[in-house]
Amino acid sequence: MKNLRTLLTCTGAVLLLASTTGIAHHALSAKFDDKKPTTLTGVVTLVDWRNPHVHVFLNVKDTKGEVLNWAVEIESPIDLETNGWNRDTLQPGDQVTVRGIRARNDSRQVWGNSIMLSASGRQVLKFTPKLPPEPLEKRPTPRWADSKQPRLGPIPGGVQGYWGYPTTTVLQEGGANVKMDQWGLLANIADAGKVAPMQPWALALYRNRQSRFLQDDPTYLNCKPPGGPRQFQLPYGVQFVEDRERQRVFVLIGGGNSNYRIIYLDGRTHAGQVGGDDDNPLYYGRSVGKWVGDVLEVDTRGFNEDFWFTNGGLPHTEQLRLVEKFSRPDFDTLKYEVTVEDTGAYTRPWSSGWTLHWVAGEELPRHLCQENRP
Amino acid sequence: MRSLIVLVTLSVVCLSAPTIAQEGHPLKGSWLGTWGPSKIHSNDILVIMNWDGKTISGMINPGTDNIPIKNATLNPEGWLVHLEAETKDKSGPITYVIDGKIEGLAFHNRSITGTWKGRGESGAFKISRQ
Repeated sequence: MKNLRTLLTCTGAVLLLASTTGIAHHALSAKFDDKKPTTLTGVVTLVDWRNPHVHVFLNVKDTKGEVLNWAVEIESPIDLETNGWNRDTLQPGDQVTVRGIRARNDSRQVWGNSIMLSASGRQVLKFTPKLPPEPLEKRPTPRWADSKQPRLGPIPGGVQGYWGYPTTTVLQEGGANVKMDQWGLLANIADAGKVAPMQPWALALYRNRQSRFLQDDPTYLNCKPPGGPRQFQLPYGVQFVEDRERQRVFVLIGGGNSNYRIIYLDGRTHAGQVGGDDDNPLYYGRSVGKWVGDVLEVDTRGFNEDFWFTNGGLPHTEQLRLVEKFSRPDFDTLKYEVTVEDTGAYTRPWSSGWTLHWVAGEELPRHLCQENRP
Repeated sequence: MRSLIVLVTLSVVCLSAPTIAQEGHPLKGSWLGTWGPSKIHSNDILVIMNWDGKTISGMINPGTDNIPIKNATLNPEGWLVHLEAETKDKSGPITYVIDGKIEGLAFHNRSITGTWKGRGESGAFKISRQ
């Protein structure tokens, strides 16, 4: 009987998680409704310390006296650890009060904004997003000794770090200034047409994705890689590894399930890569680049259509071509500019840009998406 | 007890099956389904469609009937699909006209349901993206 009860409890927890059709590391708004604030008081039954988000399960007594198990979703292990949490901060048996917002589908799920231990009144979760590191002084651009070209990555055996904290996490045409949240959800869906010059079908599809609160995003739903400019707008940053001997740059994507992209600098063209190999389009496309002064100019084509190339769900087709420019105006700043050309989805080329900050002395965070895990 | 475990396992598997998200142009891809005068007497149909940025092109039953799609439109207001395909037999040219609507737009295996007419016949039409 005890085994049966254990089985049912575990099954209940799994079903509770599964009941949202597998939205993983999602835009908060995809799953939770900020217009449904709620407070729960209960006893911790399980702390599920896994990517992409940690879940705390609580037994909560309802108004009829029935005990129901709730899932409280909180930030990722990476973010929690930077805020002083670890997997032992809460233990089964702890009585806590959780403040948060409820799931849109009214299942017993809550996004936790704060968690307080009832016994001591101590606030154990009061998440504060980590801010970009402020350099003490403006440092000059690091350069290779021979060519004097800027270095984009860390120096082996020297200063370590990666690029993070993009100045914007949403892509829209430069100057558009459409209001969105950090996940790309429009404040006013009527502004959809101002974001980029979309063809009618693409605009309608973009509106559809927005109206569904971005819940169909394959990057979170199915762990699809964040190709295109999105790789520079996700949490956990990017890293450049410059292999000069083989004339290529590896872009490691912290928010991309430990995958990477290669930019070839050896003078090759797209011939034979795109067009001759159309049956194998890629998530990150095929990139060739060259240095023009202090700017690395990269031309990328050959994308597949199995992913969203922006937060917020701007559509693209296999005709997508990106022209990207990377520069490092000072030690702590990476400037990224992109021109989007996609005659399949847009009426004309359009551009945008932002900067990323150098996170000194740290390795790229190790984030792994877990498919179909809310 | 064993049946309970089986039931629970099946429930978990079913609920946790991943849904695949939307991709590029909603009509692009391979679609499989049926068209026929009734549910009992229906014929399988394979439709291949592509989008080059300006025109939707495609073929019905490639390799067997080879009916090229001559005209195709997608109206994003309601996701209405109109296809015209032409072939010919001994009696002369035949034009098939298909009108339908995309359902489940957000999903990889979205479908188009509607009607077809041609050769003096008509019936129901349903295809799902593969």
